[in-house]
This record gives sequence, structure tokens and C-alpha cells, in this order.
Amino acid sequence: MSATFPRWINRLPLRLAVGALALGTGAVAAVWYYFTPKYTRVGYQPIQPVPFSHAVHVEQGGLDCRYCHAGVEQSWYAGLPAAEVCLRCHGPRLGNVLGNDPRLAWVRYSAETGQPIPWVAVHRLPDYVYFHHGVHVRRGISCVECHGPVHQMDEVYQAQPLSMAFCLECHRNPAARLRPPETVFDLGWRWHGQPQQAAQLQRQFGQRAMQDWNVESLQACSACHR
Amino acid sequence: MNLEHQSPEADPISPEVARSKPDDEPAAGQTQRHYWRSLQQWAELARWDSQPQQERGGTAEAWAEPVSRRHFVKLMSASLLLAGFGCTGCRRPEEPILPFSTQPPGYVHGLSQYYATAMPTQTGAVPLLVKVHEGRPIKIEGNPLHPDSNGGTDLFAQASILNLYDPDRVTQFKHAGQPVSRTEALDTLADLAKQFAANQGAGLAVLLQRSSSPSRERLIRALRARLPRAGWYVYDPVDFSRAELAARLAFGRPVRPYCRLDQARVIVALDWDFLGTEDNQHVAIRQFAQGRRLLKPTDPMNRLYVVESLLTLTGAQADHRLVLPPSAIIQAAAFLCDRLLGPAGAPLLSALRQAGPVSDQAAAWLAGCAADLLKPEHRGHSLVFAGHRQPLAVHLAAQAINAALGNIGQTVVYHAAAAEPFETLAQLRQALDAGAVQTLVILGGNPVYDAPADFDWGRTQRKAKTVLRLGYYEDETSAAADWLLPQAHYLEAWGDARTSDGTLLPVQPVIQPLFGGLSELEVLARLGALEPVDPYHIVRATFRELVGAAQSEELWKRFLHDGFLPGSAAKPEPVQFDFIAAARATEVTAEPPPSKDALEVVFSRDLKVDDGRYNNNGWLQELPDPITKLTWDNAILISPATAQALGLPRLQPAGPDWRVPVVQVTVADRTLTGPAWVQPGMADFVLGLTLGYGRSRTGRVGQGTGYNAYALRSWAAPNFVPGAKLKLTTQTYQLACTQSHGALEGRGAVREANREEYQRQPNLALELDHPAAHGPGLAHGQRRPLYPNPLDQPGPDGRTPRQRALHAWGMCIDLTACVGCGACVIACQSENNIPIVGKDQVARGREMHWLRLDRYYATGPAASQPQALAQVQVIHQPMLCQHCEAAPCESVCPFNATVHDEEGLNVMAYNRCVGTRYCSNNCPYKVRRFNYLDYHRRPLYLLRGPVYASPLVHRTEGQWDLSRWWRHPDGSLRPKTEWELLKLVQNPDVTVRMRGVMEKCTFCTQRIEQAKIANKMGAGPSKAGPLPDGAVLTACQQACPAGAIVFGNLKDPNSHVAQLKRQGRNYVVLEWLLTQPRVSYLARIRNPNPAMPDYVLPPLSRLEPEASGRQPSAES
Repeated sequence: MSATFPRWINRLPLRLAVGALALGTGAVAAVWYYFTPKYTRVGYQPIQPVPFSHAVHVEQGGLDCRYCHAGVEQSWYAGLPAAEVCLRCHGPRLGNVLGNDPRLAWVRYSAETGQPIPWVAVHRLPDYVYFHHGVHVRRGISCVECHGPVHQMDEVYQAQPLSMAFCLECHRNPAARLRPPETVFDLGWRWHGQPQQAAQLQRQFGQRAMQDWNVESLQACSACHR
Repeated sequence: MNLEHQSPEADPISPEVARSKPDDEPAAGQTQRHYWRSLQQWAELARWDSQPQQERGGTAEAWAEPVSRRHFVKLMSASLLLAGFGCTGCRRPEEPILPFSTQPPGYVHGLSQYYATAMPTQTGAVPLLVKVHEGRPIKIEGNPLHPDSNGGTDLFAQASILNLYDPDRVTQFKHAGQPVSRTEALDTLADLAKQFAANQGAGLAVLLQRSSSPSRERLIRALRARLPRAGWYVYDPVDFSRAELAARLAFGRPVRPYCRLDQARVIVALDWDFLGTEDNQHVAIRQFAQGRRLLKPTDPMNRLYVVESLLTLTGAQADHRLVLPPSAIIQAAAFLCDRLLGPAGAPLLSALRQAGPVSDQAAAWLAGCAADLLKPEHRGHSLVFAGHRQPLAVHLAAQAINAALGNIGQTVVYHAAAAEPFETLAQLRQALDAGAVQTLVILGGNPVYDAPADFDWGRTQRKAKTVLRLGYYEDETSAAADWLLPQAHYLEAWGDARTSDGTLLPVQPVIQPLFGGLSELEVLARLGALEPVDPYHIVRATFRELVGAAQSEELWKRFLHDGFLPGSAAKPEPVQFDFIAAARATEVTAEPPPSKDALEVVFSRDLKVDDGRYNNNGWLQELPDPITKLTWDNAILISPATAQALGLPRLQPAGPDWRVPVVQVTVADRTLTGPAWVQPGMADFVLGLTLGYGRSRTGRVGQGTGYNAYALRSWAAPNFVPGAKLKLTTQTYQLACTQSHGALEGRGAVREANREEYQRQPNLALELDHPAAHGPGLAHGQRRPLYPNPLDQPGPDGRTPRQRALHAWGMCIDLTACVGCGACVIACQSENNIPIVGKDQVARGREMHWLRLDRYYATGPAASQPQALAQVQVIHQPMLCQHCEAAPCESVCPFNATVHDEEGLNVMAYNRCVGTRYCSNNCPYKVRRFNYLDYHRRPLYLLRGPVYASPLVHRTEGQWDLSRWWRHPDGSLRPKTEWELLKLVQNPDVTVRMRGVMEKCTFCTQRIEQAKIANKMGAGPSKAGPLPDGAVLTACQQACPAGAIVFGNLKDPNSHVAQLKRQGRNYVVLEWLLTQPRVSYLARIRNPNPAMPDYVLPPLSRLEPEASGRQPSAES
């Protein structure tokens, strides 16, 4: 009597199990890796209507962050400059730097017509997160901690995942990121010396600042969610 | 903080104790209080499990349209299909950032701005501070700088912001029902102006509502000079001017009374609902509460006597309450005059005596009241006043008593008033009937709906050739008008007003008119071809005129900044009461007392929709009436004894379905039908009808709510009318009543005492019925909470959160100050983006209010007799999340979605919540709310049902719901017009919660965080200490005109809230559960007069009912 099923069938359940396990592991691993903010968000670099270069303005021009992001020390929102702010240098009144450059067409158009420049948001937090720029920068957290080396970017991209884990990393140990207040907007600033020595200085400063400024390590939900 | 449970000897849970007796069976020998919320409870008809609850009952029959299995499969496959449409939803949406092209100077994006303005009312205004976020007003607060305000508001001011964004408001200029352009409409006005300028205003009639605006007064004066032949008429359906009229007659010149309730030690209210339905309620509540602010037992406290026919908010606060039919209140006034006026009052008294004698029972009560007023220490410190419903004679009597008792200049002052220059609606009707009116201009109001029924105003109005109407809604009057001009909201246009004390206020716009609406001032200026027409310049010119020589740009700016003109309050006028003139003006006829066949109908202003003007406001419609606890409807109120006499079921049926009989009321030849509601505390043979409902043309929210009480109102008897008949129909009607929602299953929530008891025993509140603690370790005399207290669990550094935190937030609510007005509920709704759910959902116990007002009745020893139901004592209690330290909700959440923060807030992480509702089940205070049906995205028409309609078979605005969801994920089913407007009212600092998420009071965590952030930003790189006291006000606290709610830091022993909590009358609800709430209450102290016949000691709730077989279930 011939066998109804071929012999290899005997091993099918095992194969299936191994296959399913591999597939499952793969799926979990894929979700684990690809579905995290670290993968989905970091590196996001949309094309902006005006090819504005932070590197040129900050590194070469020496502009302070607050010249354009004027609300950053008062508001939850750092703010984007009005077209009129750009034209302080790029307009006919002063300097007229690149006065007729086609790359600045949107800026001139906006200033003339009142149409806002449609910048594309790069950094975005969910609606249920209430982040406040003012309180961070006023209490010694530099822009660079969340935005990365913006002062060197030609086109802005997202440098950090800005996930809850990312926020908590710092909120659990603020001492590691606290800076002398005058260096908050100096994105290239570092403690002097060798890495080990710098780390030592940071630890000392951080711990002192935690004490002196009464910095809380806020980890309760209500700190960010309302 | 109560740390006694930390005792090391405490026992572990012992099963015997954990399974202790049911809570509604008090242990023998305990003082049990006897409160009830509904008549069922009173009669012990209802068992608790028949009541709708958020977490049980009512949910099983959730779907009005049952979803079949087949239907379900269809739905699920559609969802699957949708999910399979690829990950379009997963892609990062591109979001633009749109900066200004030129930024306004001083503007910082993201910072809210506050502007001082005012909401005009009939005889005054509410001084306000409006929070504006990115150009849109989002929250209204009172102006604390104003000398006659403490930063509190009334509920109408709180809710008025929703009217601004009402999608049903007039959005277009219309002629004969067809939209026309704004220019066309303004040209018509200009043509009319030209025509009237030529004929001096012949044929022009202007119908207005009363207003305190000096600019309007000035414009009308100018127009009268220019158009001398025009007629000026005024009509308010609820007319508060009778006290002023009485004052004018009695004092011989135009003066207006202004009560200073804070100065009064004895207050007698003759049908005067100053805490509820009278104008300038917020001022009265503040002053009244000031007169009973107890910080220690010996503090002075005012005493309130109320004579009334319905149960009102004022009656609920009364220390002594006499229930009389409205027509008999004049007899009470005459009796008081007899005792109090002395020989000078003889002429007035003889006129008043025509009203007839009071009953013996009432006479004893009134005699006691008069004796109290006559006490020498009360001379000049008492106040007798009559309500707007009462006839002139009662007002004259009350003011005469004040004169006789030396109260004038003390508790009541008289301010100069303008001579009433307007004619009445009756005169306008005559003019219309005579064909003397060519053009009728109606500014505001809604006479077709609210004019007396005998005027048949809809038809009368059409007798004018042209009717031009400035209106906020497309209502009954607009339908009968030729021209409809959209009216600007008070937050959209310049204006001015005076508060009741005469202080000048700016009405400053905070947003451009959303639909190009006009203000009253602009229409008047255009009508008279006056220059300028721009309301800003009109108001400025008036200001210049009023200020005179002092006028300067600086002063104007200061006026706008502060929101009032300092020192502009009216000065008291010296007045002399003229008894002869008063007697001459007193016309009294004796009315037979109402009986079964000749009932007396009382028309009352509604506490929620006013005279109908807030009919389309969902927040107000859904606010439970402070007394009846009805939402979305009005009812015909009947006393229990009357109901019995008329053959109505005395008690409402039990269960979530409040089906009540529909009755027909006939007065003369007019009839109306409406649901009957048996209301304790009312006079017998009196029907209480509230105005403002039953609109035939209103918006989508107000449509189909209630019955129209105006149908029975006549010009001759607008306030109460005798000789009504009531007939029971065979129909029933479902009402949505919240009085049994959130019931605490017979556990004590409110505590009260009489003042003498409190003075004898200052810590009495603590000792008032204290059921043996419920919890482990009880057997050894130790008490330990059932649930862990996260604030006492040491962290890695060895310190507990309690020690680490800078603040310990807590709240204290004074039940003696709270009058139950509901301003806090609306303020909370506005601040915290709380959706309205609609009548059907309220009936299922799904209202979303984070803060509710519980109302309890007590009848005391005579409880078994229906007559006792007229003598109920009432107590209101705001109930919100108690922020228990050892919180029962937290332990049962499988997702850790509700947890504690260090400062003692019980917080909700909405994103963690999956909607198990375990927390709500385990909450002993029943303060958690679950969003069942995505209320924020439900279109307004769904407020009335169906509850649920499948997106596969249902279309909204001609589009399948499924496709709407797909294309417009934010607004989903909401029509665009609705969505675009209503989303503007949301507070951006608070998450808008979606379906399936539990929510509850957060102690306004957004305000706490903002204050902390401001504090830290101010400190910068230096030590940031705790917030100063008063830096955080919760929305309910800020809105409360009585100052009953105090919030603050308990870690600071000097904070206001910490001081209050040290009082002897401080208690926490269900203390014996040892949940250690952060919210505590100060017991209600009543101040009855031992010499009165209805004096009881202790309050009724603490007296044992007679052993009559009927035991009231000890609700609360």
C-alpha cells in the first residue's frame, strides 16, 4: 500500500514551527527596529520653500538663535521669524544682501503680500505632549540637546527621536545635560579638556546646578501630559 | 496629612472586617443622616441598582439601533479593508508652519493674552477678563480688579463664549430670507436714514431691550433730537425694573436701589431669588457669601428668611423658609408692614390690608421674622426686598420696611437713574394696530417668541411695512422680518456698560466679527445718519463726554487696561420715603387662595437658558438645573400634595427612563402641554413654568427642548396668573434628570449643623456620624487604608514623594458659601474641553461633567407626611475627583493609566487608557467620566439621536459616513461649518479626549504646570522655590462668585487652603474609607432663629424620621 503522504511530510510540522518562529522573530525584530521613532523620525529632512542654511547664518554670520526664534525664552513655542525679520538684512533697507536672489523669492513675496511662507515642520511632538521651550532654555538646557547640531546644518533634519524614552532619559538625570546658562545658545560649546576631564566637569556642574537651582527630576505624567 | 495608618502594629487584612456590613445599613447607635435626592428615594421605591450609572445599568441597552451579527461582520470587514488600504495613515503628515509676514509688536507666539471687557446684562454688566489664544478668545474670567467683583462670574458669562462659536448664529445679511451682501444691507439702512431725516422719523419705531450702556443712551438722545417723531419702545420678557419703578414712586424721583447684602445681618426675601434668577446674580452671591464667611465659630453670620412659592436657589440657602402661593406674598408683606412700619406707615398699610390676612401658621412665622428684624442690634443691618415677579405693592412695602428699619443708606442705597424714556410693548402694539408704524426696527430680543401670547406678536409685527431686525440667531422674530442683520457678539464689537453699582466699563472686542456682524450702536448710528458709525469712536466719544476735563489718551488706555473707570461708581442719593405717595400707588385686590380647580401659574426665568436667549447653548442645556436636576428640558413643576390631589402619580417612575406624565394647563382660553415634574418644596396648587424652552425656530442644539411657557403669558399677568386648570393626558414624556446619578449608595457625603451647635462644639463636623472605619486592622483599633499610598513609598534616594515634592495640592470647599449656582460646572467645561453629550446620553448617565453639583433634600421627623415635602431643607455639594492619596482607582487599573504625581494629583494618562472602566467602578465618589461615543466629533443633530448609526448605512450631508471618516479624519462626521467653528472654543492647553478614554478632574493640571513653568522661568539659573499662595487658581475656583472653592499648597501651613482645613468644620467625604482625599469640605452651618416656629435643632437631616413604617433610604 502506497503511502498517501510522502515521507518528508513527517518533518513538515517541525519545518513549519521553525519557519513560523523565524518569521515571528523577524516580524518582531522588524517592528522593534523599524517602527520606533528612532527609525521613523530621525533623519527626517523635508524640502523647505526657502533653502535657508542655519550653517551659513550661525557659523558664518554669527547670528544668535534668538534673533529669529524670538519666543524661545518666553513661550512654549520657539517661533519662526516673520518675513520682515529676514528682510532686515536681505531687504533694501539695510545691506540688501542677496537682494534679488531667486532663492529668496518666497521671502520677498511674503513681505509684500502678507502671505506666510509655508515652512515644513521638521520637529513635531504629538498633540498630547506639552513641551515648553522657555523653561528648558532658561534653566540651562541647550537647543543642541534635542535639535542636534543645527548650527552646522544646511537643511534642517531631525537629529533625535524625540520619543518619550528620549525625553525621560534626560528627565531622569538632568544633571548630565545642565549647562552654564550663558552657553545655552552656543551650540558648539563644550567643556574644556579631554573627554574624561570634560565629563568630570559636567558632573560637578550638573550636581551643583541641581542643588543651587532646585532642578527637579520630573517624571510624573503631569509634567508633560495634560 | 493623616499618617496614622503607618502604625507598625497595624494588622494585615482580616477577612471578617473586609466583609463588613453593607454600607447602607448603619451600625446600631450611629447618628445617621437622612438625605434623599429624588422622591423615589424618599419613598424608598427605588433601589440603587435601578438607577442609571456610568458603570452599570444603562450600558447594556447602549445601542438604540441593535447591531445584528450580520451587521457586525459587515462592519468588521469594512474596517479590515480600510486597514488594508496601505499605510497611508502611517506616513508622516507634512505639516506647515505659517509665520507672520510682519509680526505685531509685542506678540509672542504661544503666549495667551488677557483683555478686560464686560458682558452687558439687562440692568448691569459682568466685568470680565478674556483669555485670547492666537487671536481667538477661549476662556472667560471675572475681572478681579473691579471694585464690585472678586473675579467670579455667573454661569451665563462663562457659557457666552460658546455662543460666539455657535454654528447656528446668523452668518449672513438677509432680505426676505435670501442672503444679500453686507453693502446692500448697509445701503438700505442709509436709505432709511435719509428718508427719516427728511420726515423727522415719522413712521419709525425702534424696539429695544434694556441696557446699561451709556453710549446707547447718548445715541438715542441724539436720535430723539434728530428724529422727534420716531417711537422708542422697550421690552424685556423678564422685567427687572419694578423695584426701580417702586423707588421712583416712593421717593419722588428717579432712583435705583442697590442692595449691599454683605452689610445685612438679617435678610428677608419676598419671592426675591437674588441668588438665582434675579439680575446681577454674581454680585449678590458674592455679597451674600461675604456675610456668612466663617473662619471661626464666633464669626458673625447673616440670617436669611425667604418667603416664596417655588423652590429656588435662594430658598435652598434659607435659614427659614415660608412657602406661600405667589399671590399671597403680598399678604405676608402687609403683615410685616403691620409689625414694622409704625404710625407713619398707616396710609400704606391700609392700602396693603386689602390683600387679606395671612393664615395663622404663616402669621406665626412672620411674627417671628418681624421680631428678629426689630431687634435693636439689627437696626440698619437688615434688608427686606421683593423679587421681580411681585407686584408694585410688594416692592413698595419692602422698601417702606427698609426705610422704617433704618436700612436705607446702610444695606440698600439708592443711585440716581435715568428717567424711563421708553414706551412699552403694549404701546407699540397700539401704534402698529393703528397703522402708525411704517418701519419697525428690532434690535436684539426675540418678541415673536417671548412677547405676551395675547399680542400675537408674529402677526402684529407684520403690520409694519418694513421690519428690520438685528439678531444673533435666525429665530422666530427673524422669520417674520424683512431684513435680518447679523448681530455682533459682545466679544466682537466695541461697547460700554455700567455694573449694577454704576461703575463704567468698556466692552472691548477681542476678535473681529466672525460673520461681519453689527453692534446695536452701529445700527443706531447708521439709522440716525450720525457720525461716526464706527462703535469704537462712538464709545470713545461717550467716554470723553463722561470723563470731561480729565480725558486723556492715558486715561483711556488705563480704562481699557483695567476694564473699568476708577471712581465712577454711583454715589448714594439721600432719599426720603413718601408713605402717602406710596399708598397712592398701591393697588391691591384680594385674590382667593389657589385650589385644585383654580391653580396658580408662576412663570420663572430659567436658571440655564434665561428668557430663551441661551436656548441654543449646549453647555447650559446640559447643565442640570440646580434644583430639579433636569437637563435639556423644562417641566411643569407641581408640589407632591397637588400632584396627589390632581390624580397625578405623586412619585416619578423609577429607573433610567424618567417617563413622566404629560399634562395640559389651561389659563383662560390658552393652553399648553408639557411634562409634569413633582417638585418638593413648592407651594401647593401652584404650577411652576420656566421660560426659555419650546422654541419653534432655534439652532440645532435647542431644537425640540421643552415646552413654551410664553404661550400662557399675557401682558396683564406676565409673572403669575390664577385660575389655571390642569388636565392629565394619556401621553408620557421622557426627561433626562441627573438627580440620582453618581449616588453614593447611602453613605454620608454632606454634613451640616446649626450655628449654636457649631459654637458649642467647634469640631462638630468631625464628630458628625463617623461610621466605623472600613478597612484592615480595625479589630485592633488601628486604621489603615485598603489601598496603598504612593506618596509614602520611598524612592531610590530614600525620600518619599511627599518629602521630595515642593507642593502638596489640595482643595477646600465651603458648603456654607456654596449656593449651587453652577458657574463652576460651566467654567470647568470651558477650561477642560468637556463635550456635551445630548439628552439621550444624559438619560443613560453618561454626562461628562468633571465637576457635578449634588443636591440633597432633607425632611426630618415629619418625613412620612406629604406636607413635609413643602418644608424640605436643601443642601448643595460640588463633587469632583477627590484626589485621594490612597486612591481606589489606581490599584485596579491594569494599564497604570491613572497614577499619582509627587504633588498629590491623581493624574490620568489618556494615552495609556484602554477604557476598562475598572477605575470608575472602584471610585467611591463616582467622579470618573467615560467618553462612550466620541462626543467631540458627533454632529449636533445626533444630540437627539440616533445614538449610533452604522457608517455603512448612514449618510451625513449627503455623504456616506464611512467616506467622511476617511476623507476628514479630524472632523469626521461633523459638518464642516460645525467643525470649523466649534473647534475654536477648545482650550489648546488641554488634550481633547477621544472615545474610549476615561477622564476626570485634573485639578486643572495645565494651570499648575503653567504656573510652575512661569516660576521656574522667572528663577532662571537660581533657586526656584514653591509657588506663592494664589499663583494657581483652578477654573472652578476662579469662576465661583461666592469664593466657596479654595485651592492651594498644603505644604505651606500659611496658605489659605491649609488655614481653612484647620477649621473644626473641615471634613472629608467617606473619611472612614481612609482614601485620604486631598479635597475636603467645610460643613454647612445653618443659622436659624430659635424663636421661630419652624426652628429645628439639629438640621432636619439629622433628625430621626418618625417610626412610620416608611424609612427614607439614607441617601448621600
